[in-house]
Amino acid sequence: MNYKPNESELMAYLYGELEGEARKKVELYLMQHDEERRALENLQRVSNLLGRVKDKEVIAPPIFIGDAKQRYFWDVPYFKTIMSIAASLLLVMMVAYFTGAQIKMSGNEFKISFGKQPEAVPVVVPEVKPTVASLTADQVQEMINSSLVTNNESLQTSFEASQQKLDASIRKSLASNSGNMDQLIREASTASQTQIREYVAGIQTENMKMVKDYFQLTATDQKKYVEALLVDFAKYLDQQRSNDLQLVQTRLNSMEKNTSVFKQETEQILSSIITSVGSPSTTKGIKN
Amino acid sequence: MVDTLLDIAMMHADTLVIRAKQGDQPAQGKLVQLWYKRIYNYAYKFFLDHDLAMEVSQKTFISMCRNLPSLQDNGRFKSWLYTIAVNYCREEARKAKGNRTISFDKVWNPEAEESPQWESSRQRNENPERQLQQLELADILQEALLELSDEQREVVIMKEYEGLKFREIAEALNISENTVKSRMYYGLDGLKKILDRKNITKDTLGYEL
Repeated sequence: MNYKPNESELMAYLYGELEGEARKKVELYLMQHDEERRALENLQRVSNLLGRVKDKEVIAPPIFIGDAKQRYFWDVPYFKTIMSIAASLLLVMMVAYFTGAQIKMSGNEFKISFGKQPEAVPVVVPEVKPTVASLTADQVQEMINSSLVTNNESLQTSFEASQQKLDASIRKSLASNSGNMDQLIREASTASQTQIREYVAGIQTENMKMVKDYFQLTATDQKKYVEALLVDFAKYLDQQRSNDLQLVQTRLNSMEKNTSVFKQETEQILSSIITSVGSPSTTKGIKN
Repeated sequence: MVDTLLDIAMMHADTLVIRAKQGDQPAQGKLVQLWYKRIYNYAYKFFLDHDLAMEVSQKTFISMCRNLPSLQDNGRFKSWLYTIAVNYCREEARKAKGNRTISFDKVWNPEAEESPQWESSRQRNENPERQLQQLELADILQEALLELSDEQREVVIMKEYEGLKFREIAEALNISENTVKSRMYYGLDGLKKILDRKNITKDTLGYEL
């Protein structure tokens, strides 16, 4: 008795979906195995418990389905897009027809135009007949030469004429100008003598005034300046004297110090001499 | 009585499906009326949320009406319909996982705890205590269901509440029958453990078992 039902068979048995032989097998197995039976009973209990949950009542809301209609081929999106493109192209063409639009492309030129184009006026290029061929080189040279000569002549004559004209005009203007100038000078010389005198006198008096003022001003300034200078100088002298005095004082002090130091030193030297002179006798004395 | 009427309606479902497939709008409407409650309850038990259940049901029936002509075997209408519902449930579950916002009321609602549902008691002719017990038990069971994995929950709801045969569930989920049974077994086993943990045992429920 090696038979042991698997989970699937147990479930099928539990929910009564096992038929015939298989069902009997499981029943037999469960009869013999208490533990398994109890486990299945537990699951059965859970299943029964689950049955306690009742369905919730609900009212179905109306559901509208709009596009349940049969679709014709003109409802197909592809057809619609193609048709719409075609329609818009047609519209553009109609508009173009009524506005008389023209699009031209020739060579590098791209042209869009509306309305009727004015007819192009053919430009008539006058034909140049080649007459040169019948002339020889010498003849050409001659022609050039003669034309040059005539040119030179005409230039010469025109130059001369213009020079003469210029001369005449200069002379004329000079004559008139000199006359004017002379007159002006004369007028100036005669009319201005008294004026000049007055002017000069005026200038002289003004100058006098200015010089006087200047001297007065400078004199007072100079006075002040010299006074200040004198005072400063006196101050400076005082300062200098006091500094010198101080210097002398310090020198004297240092001299005094030096002499005292010197004194001390001599005293020390003397005492050392005295001791050094005295000591050998004492040492000698001791030795003896 | 209602059940028998429903059964009769189901018997006629085949002809209804055929008519609906041909674009008969009243037939489609009748199909919706017939199946709406089932699909709604499936989705409600799956999410334990009325709004999500309504959304899934509506989407399912819109999809049903659109795709009915593509249904090959009329006999498979039931599992086909559940397939649509399962797919929409999974979609919504994925969305819900995407935005992990939980209403504060769901997390902790002391007012709701203090005033149990029986305060607004409906059927006064029944024993109120028993009614409360029933209500509480139903809540606990539904919450326990929600603790199962999505796969096990799908199978358990279809088997226990929708009354589908294992073959039909296998068709609806597009998996083998053995897998369905195995999921059912582990689902029940899991539920038992959850209920044990919640102290809902034979002893606590007493004579009712």
